[in-house]
Amino acid sequence: MEKIIAIWLGLAVSEPTSFLIKSGIFLAVCGATLFVALAASYPAVHDTLHNVRHALAVVPCH
Amino acid sequence: MSLNLCAVFAFFFVSFLPGVTVWAEDLNIYFKTTPRIELLRPYADPANMSLLITGADGRPVKQGVVDIRLDAPEPGGFFSTDFPFVEGTRLSEMRMELRQGRANWKFLLPIRGEYRLAVVVRTADGGKASKDFKFYVRENQKKWFALTGFSIGLFLLGLMAGRVFTAVPKSAMVVLFAVALLVESSQAAEPPRIPETENAGLEIEAGTVGRPTAVRWFLTNAEMAAKPNALLTLTITHLEKEKIAFAVERIPVGNEFSMKFQFTDGAEYRVVALAEVPGKPPLRSEKVIGVTATEPPAKASVPALAYFVGLIALGLGAGRWTKRRAVVP
Repeated sequence: MEKIIAIWLGLAVSEPTSFLIKSGIFLAVCGATLFVALAASYPAVHDTLHNVRHALAVVPCH
Repeated sequence: MSLNLCAVFAFFFVSFLPGVTVWAEDLNIYFKTTPRIELLRPYADPANMSLLITGADGRPVKQGVVDIRLDAPEPGGFFSTDFPFVEGTRLSEMRMELRQGRANWKFLLPIRGEYRLAVVVRTADGGKASKDFKFYVRENQKKWFALTGFSIGLFLLGLMAGRVFTAVPKSAMVVLFAVALLVESSQAAEPPRIPETENAGLEIEAGTVGRPTAVRWFLTNAEMAAKPNALLTLTITHLEKEKIAFAVERIPVGNEFSMKFQFTDGAEYRVVALAEVPGKPPLRSEKVIGVTATEPPAKASVPALAYFVGLIALGLGAGRWTKRRAVVP
């Protein structure tokens, strides 16, 4: 159904392009999540994940 | 005239220079850690560090002082350690009196890498010698296991997403990964509880991660300070981890002892000094200090984040490849 609507609206893209777009968005969301979890200095996040940061050996902490 | 000059030079070489070089070569400096260096790990238990200074005859030097300087490993490689601000900085700098040719202290090593220990010995009879030691501390194996597990988890996340994005999914399934990392903590030994005294004081600069802080203990009682003959036990404890970060036990001091010590973590530390003065009750001084943390620079986080996102991207590619391989005959 969504494919029919996409074609009708002229938004249809090829399968490889669709994969690239979805993957790009997914990577951006994952990168942002990882940044907040492992690199951001928000006290609440930092204090909760402080031990996890140190446990990963390569993630810098204060 | 020239003959006189030659005589002066000859006297200089014969009498002075050999004396200095012979002393420098005659003093042997040995460094030992317990547990041995291969077993040391960052933020595990504090290492007992020991220096032994002997003369040419192999006997320990009776009297002398030793200047000790410990530097943290230099930054290097693609990834930073978990304490980037400590890398390449001075960890401690102090002078200790030798007891039967030995100087002992405890130190909690903060990061992996090659440490540099510079030792300069001065004996009571004017002898002097110096030696630099380098020793490598390996990372805690638990951390490498945790990193491997986390990396595999990210790759699998990418793999699943790659498979889902390649074909129209009929149903979505959310898999939650819960990683519980238990960090062992060992109980730090506490000095005996003796009431605090006003006959001795402790002065500690404001501590900041990344630079050494001056720590000074001194006798305030004029009568005691006039006849300095104290034995000092100084202990610095990381309160959150409940580990001893630094300790010296019953070292002979005058009426004061000062050192530079880097508090490597932005947390609370307790500094306890216990002095034994002959004919007097033990003098106890204590201070709890909060160390200012410093946020790691962004460039230190980039390699780790790039590595993690790269793993997910690799998983996406692998997921697409496995899905297409299964569908296309």
